[in-house]
Amino acid sequence: MLKKDLIMRNPLRAVSDENGYILPEGGLGAVVARAGVGKTALLVQLALNSLLKGDNALHISLGDPVRKVSLWYKEVFNNIGTQYKIDKIDDLWNELLPQRFIMTFNIDGFSVPRLNERLTELADQDIFHPQMILIDGLPFNEQSKRADLHALKELSEKFSSHIWFTVRSHRHEEPDAEGMPIQISDFADLLDVAIKLEPEDSRIKLNVLKGSGSISTQGLSLDPVTMLIKE
Amino acid sequence: MSKELSKVRNIGISAHIDSGKTTLTERILFYTNRIHAIHDVKGKDGVGAVMDSMELEKERGITIASAATFCEWNNHEINIIDTPGHVDFTIEVERSLRVLDGAILVLCSVGGVQSQSITVDQQMKRYKVPCIAFVNKCDRSGANPERVVEQLVEKLGHNAIAMQIPIGLEADHVGVVDLTTMKAVYFDGDNGEILRSEEIPAELADKAAEKREELVETASNFCDDLADAYLEEQEITAEMILSAMRKGVLERKVTPVYMGSAYKNKGVQPLLDAATALLPNPAEVTNIALDLDNDEAEVVLGSSTDDPTVALAFKLEDGQYGQLTYIRVYQGILAKGDTLVNTRSGKKIKIGRLVQMHSNQMEDIDEIPAGYIGALFGIDCASGDTFADPKLNYSMTSMFVPNPVISLALVPKDNKAQINMSKALNRFSKEDPTFHTYVDEETNETIIEGMGELHLEVYVERMQREYNAEVSTGQPRVAYRETITRRAEFNYTHKKQTGGSGQYGRVAGYIEPFPEGDFEFINKITGGAIPTQFISSCEKGFKASMAKGSLMEFPVTGIRVEINDGASHAVDSSEMAFQAAARGAFLEAYKKAKPVIHEPIMKVVIETPTEFQGTVMGTINQRRGTILGAQEEGPMCVVESQVPLAEMFGYSTVLRSSTQGKAQFTMEFDSYRQVPQSITEELQKKKAEEANKGAA
Repeated sequence: MLKKDLIMRNPLRAVSDENGYILPEGGLGAVVARAGVGKTALLVQLALNSLLKGDNALHISLGDPVRKVSLWYKEVFNNIGTQYKIDKIDDLWNELLPQRFIMTFNIDGFSVPRLNERLTELADQDIFHPQMILIDGLPFNEQSKRADLHALKELSEKFSSHIWFTVRSHRHEEPDAEGMPIQISDFADLLDVAIKLEPEDSRIKLNVLKGSGSISTQGLSLDPVTMLIKE
Repeated sequence: MSKELSKVRNIGISAHIDSGKTTLTERILFYTNRIHAIHDVKGKDGVGAVMDSMELEKERGITIASAATFCEWNNHEINIIDTPGHVDFTIEVERSLRVLDGAILVLCSVGGVQSQSITVDQQMKRYKVPCIAFVNKCDRSGANPERVVEQLVEKLGHNAIAMQIPIGLEADHVGVVDLTTMKAVYFDGDNGEILRSEEIPAELADKAAEKREELVETASNFCDDLADAYLEEQEITAEMILSAMRKGVLERKVTPVYMGSAYKNKGVQPLLDAATALLPNPAEVTNIALDLDNDEAEVVLGSSTDDPTVALAFKLEDGQYGQLTYIRVYQGILAKGDTLVNTRSGKKIKIGRLVQMHSNQMEDIDEIPAGYIGALFGIDCASGDTFADPKLNYSMTSMFVPNPVISLALVPKDNKAQINMSKALNRFSKEDPTFHTYVDEETNETIIEGMGELHLEVYVERMQREYNAEVSTGQPRVAYRETITRRAEFNYTHKKQTGGSGQYGRVAGYIEPFPEGDFEFINKITGGAIPTQFISSCEKGFKASMAKGSLMEFPVTGIRVEINDGASHAVDSSEMAFQAAARGAFLEAYKKAKPVIHEPIMKVVIETPTEFQGTVMGTINQRRGTILGAQEEGPMCVVESQVPLAEMFGYSTVLRSSTQGKAQFTMEFDSYRQVPQSITEELQKKKAEEANKGAA
């Protein structure tokens, strides 16, 4: 009951398909924003959304220890709990915990083939099958950007998952001719969805730069205090 | 005692069994004139070395294994602190490591970096202890110190760099080449006590030059002056290299490697030089205390003797004059006659006799300044207690003591063992606040309780080793608990009128879950429905009922009781009657309140080479565990998980055998959580079987 309530009240529902997914299966999505605007917060909410649906989420962090990522989840989840006045939030949390897996790498220790290796291992041993993969701070190698993204797309298809990753933009840079931030303009065609977080007045707006179908985040924003998505 | 803090070193010698820690410690004490003869530790074939060293220590009283031994070298005062060999994460290990400012990591030149070295290294890392390495046993056949340096880099991720190269190996091992001074050092005399410095043998000249180049390059990362001198090809002195290396060591960014053979008296003195030259003095280490008046906020302690005193009792020892308490002073001065407060108990203590330990004797002193280690007599305290100036309410260790999660029954072999066991248990419970002991009233067995299987195993082993108390142990038992999941009303009348005076009492109200604590009793009786003098009997009755839940006889926790109505009888009501009424009421409501079993969930952190990551995760999965995450750090990977304690029995063996002994884990209590239905049924079945067995 509780879970259903939370799904019903989830503002992301407005941008999802009838099954609750924003990305198609095997799809790639990017969240672009400047440092400190709320990329991780959004990623965590995308993950919680899929956890509540009963899906497994794998969160990959580059640089941050497991404990810190874990804290992000707990924090956002508690905020959601306070906002919707849920009691027994701890029980629900304990129920969701086994569906979440955090993996952290040193930035130079990460590569798509390595991730593939890890995921295959987890799947082979029947330890974890993620429907949602979130990569916070995907490092790009300027020379092999497109190839890396291709590999990531293949990975997403292989595991029938939905992959989201974050990209950091910079204040002074102008977008390309199509309005894409230059960090993703090289491979924008490979993305199914791209969302940009932009601070505007006292809120942080979610702007869809690219979307599949009729996706629209019109009117969605992050509350800068709780970092929760609101309509 | 001199007061020059820059000339004090508090160091630990860390090593795995059989790498020569005892021999090295003994040689150090010999060269620093603390002992006057060398007793050989080694058995005929070397296999019995460890046992022999134990016997030797026993024979000579507490010399080598004492908690802190003081010696002097090059005008430096060195305290060698005993680091516990066991790997389990206990409060005791944490304390010993807190007292160290630096460490010597001893490795065997044949065995190299073994899984136990990895464990020891992880401990150092966890407590950020700067260290230098000593590759021992260069006289042994198969010795290869160069390979050990490589392993330090590959297996432990150290930025290890050789400070010496050996002159000859195996039976030909005669000395070392010092790469900072570019001199060959030989060890003459019966016990290698005479150092002879000569030119580097011609056949080693090229290799020495090449290795020095490597050393200077590494060292120049830590000092701009050295880097400039290196680039400009100026002359580089030994002092320049050492001073740069020291910076690197203090930041834990480099591990200088020394080599030799303690058994053959080679290389020990240069190692002592290095310990004084490269390891930090107490003032160079940041020490943190917890401010108890400020929600255990961290406070950085100054190392000045002018600050108010803060000291930590890190080890207790039974001596012939009573309890000897080893203490490290972190700030201020601890002087004879001072009055300090034990911040755990809040009791004031007056400092009586102060001593400094000199291997096999002790010297009376008047004060212990900040950064120093000493011992005091006649203080009743537990290990880990903080003594502070009455102005401060600081503690060096967290005051939070978790409840034990596992218990074990002990049966002493005979009467003597019984007496020794009591002595040991008394001591251990003083040393470790997470270790409890009591006698079970029903079975009359002595029960010990603690934080994990290994935790208790260590104590059982110590009981045998240190107190000669031979005990057999029962099966470890998990501390399950019962609690309720919903509110339930009660309205119970206790009435008895058979012979003698009658008993009458009625209580009404409800019980409900109370996750914030163990038990809360609320009295909402109005109009004297239950006379005031019987209210406390009601509370007593409810509380007594919680000792054993009716579901599976586990202790009940997390319950709030409210009484709001009742009745009494002018003649037949008594304290006993209301206690009985409360017990009856509890039983009535408890069944309706959907009781469940809770079990302790442990936070299990496993450190494993990356290639075993999948295997390790598999072992967690098989144990009803939840993997929180996996963190890759170079060649190692840290898997964090939560696993029910009941599933963790024998895990160390499983982990060892599935990872070739290369992984290790730590386990600590996390929380209590509801047991899944299937497991509850299993527990009930087991209980019924036990009951049947008992009946038969």
